[in-house]
Amino acid sequence: MREMTILVVDDDPVIRKMLEKRLEKEGYEVLVAEDGYQARKLLAQQRIDVVLTDLMMPGSIGGLEVLDIAKKISSNIEVIIITAHSSIDTAVEAMKKGAVDYLEKPINFDELFLRLAKITNLQAIIRNAQDLSQAMMTTESAAALTIQDLEIRNAEFQGQLNNIAAILRNEQMSADDRIDKLLALLAGSAR
Amino acid sequence: MLKISPDELKLVAQYIHDISGIYLDQSKSYLFETRLGSIASEHNCATYKELYQKARSEPGKIIERQIIDAISTNETLFFRDKSPFELLQHKLLPELIDARTPLSPALKTNLKIWSAASSTGQELYSIAIIIKEMLRDIDKYTIKLVGTDISDRAVAQASRGKYNKFEMERGLPGDKLQRYFTMFGDSWTIKDEIRAMVQFKKLNLMLPFAGLGKFDIIFCRNVAIYFTLADRQKLFNKIADSLADDGYLIIGSTESLTGICPRFIPKRHLRSIFYQKNP
Repeated sequence: MREMTILVVDDDPVIRKMLEKRLEKEGYEVLVAEDGYQARKLLAQQRIDVVLTDLMMPGSIGGLEVLDIAKKISSNIEVIIITAHSSIDTAVEAMKKGAVDYLEKPINFDELFLRLAKITNLQAIIRNAQDLSQAMMTTESAAALTIQDLEIRNAEFQGQLNNIAAILRNEQMSADDRIDKLLALLAGSAR
Repeated sequence: MLKISPDELKLVAQYIHDISGIYLDQSKSYLFETRLGSIASEHNCATYKELYQKARSEPGKIIERQIIDAISTNETLFFRDKSPFELLQHKLLPELIDARTPLSPALKTNLKIWSAASSTGQELYSIAIIIKEMLRDIDKYTIKLVGTDISDRAVAQASRGKYNKFEMERGLPGDKLQRYFTMFGDSWTIKDEIRAMVQFKKLNLMLPFAGLGKFDIIFCRNVAIYFTLADRQKLFNKIADSLADDGYLIIGSTESLTGICPRFIPKRHLRSIFYQKNP
């Protein structure tokens, strides 16, 4: 399976570097942004699976705004908020707005890797469900065409049988005339 | 997971059929176990027989409702399989409006549409969105859009009109999503202007359709597939009784009424089939 691409957004160069190194060591593709503006640019250009963003950053694009931008691009992008203990309320607010989780500083890497592994699993399940529903719809539309044809042809045959019965029952006509009429009817429908 | 014995399988399958009409294949015991196991443990039942006895004797019918919620399938999409909705928009509704519009402009045009197994509501909301977009002079109409389902949970979710991102992503074009839903976090809620057009209620299709009246269009898609042949015959016979003489029936795209209800004749329009009553 393709490794996830993770975007790390933090204005602190030490944390940024540390996250980049540890995540790469775990085998993830890592992109870094030093503020919300860079993050916005990268989100627009690249396919990103997970955004790991600091909540408080200088400028008007903070963690909550990065979350909004990512979710607008695709609701499949998962966002994990990194926060100081003092701003946990804001982190909870972020989860209400669609962030998948939050981590408190200082970052516990075991905890981070565990959450990323869960996201990987979840995305694999979602992918599988999407594949299945795609397969179901393909099968369904192919079957639908066959069934529709059969349904219509069956109705036509039923109509034909009704016509045949009506001719056979028609006592105004001689037996020979009925046979002629039936043969003409059948010849017409054989076309 | 609590294991089900062959005797219990028979008993429970019969019970499920009695309360819902749903026919579960007894060779698929895992289906019973995965869907009913947690209900059994929740009510401290050591066996499925015990669960069955409790469900039958309990006056509040809470367990019965839980069982129905657990065994009914709620797979549905907004605009699932586009063709019936295109059919509705381009053929059935225009024809019906022509036929129903009264001569006097002072009178309103009545339209009644029923989604007979509405599940979590996506089909009926899709119909409501089409009508809203089609009829610019909507106040000249009296439109009744009714959705029914056997599952309390499905009816409740349909009435809320709130969906998670997986339920939304599939089938709904972006412009309709923006126009008719409000997003909060990972969930979307249908706007009041659409919700006000529809009503949902609980109905077991195996029981008489009391008080529903006659409909101009009935959607009964992908529900009869869970019924036995005899139950399907009964169902579509009752549906024929509930359909206006010039009304339309739409069934699932892989379903057929051949050998099930001779009162309906199939008609083709482009890539879809609809049914009308045999005159």
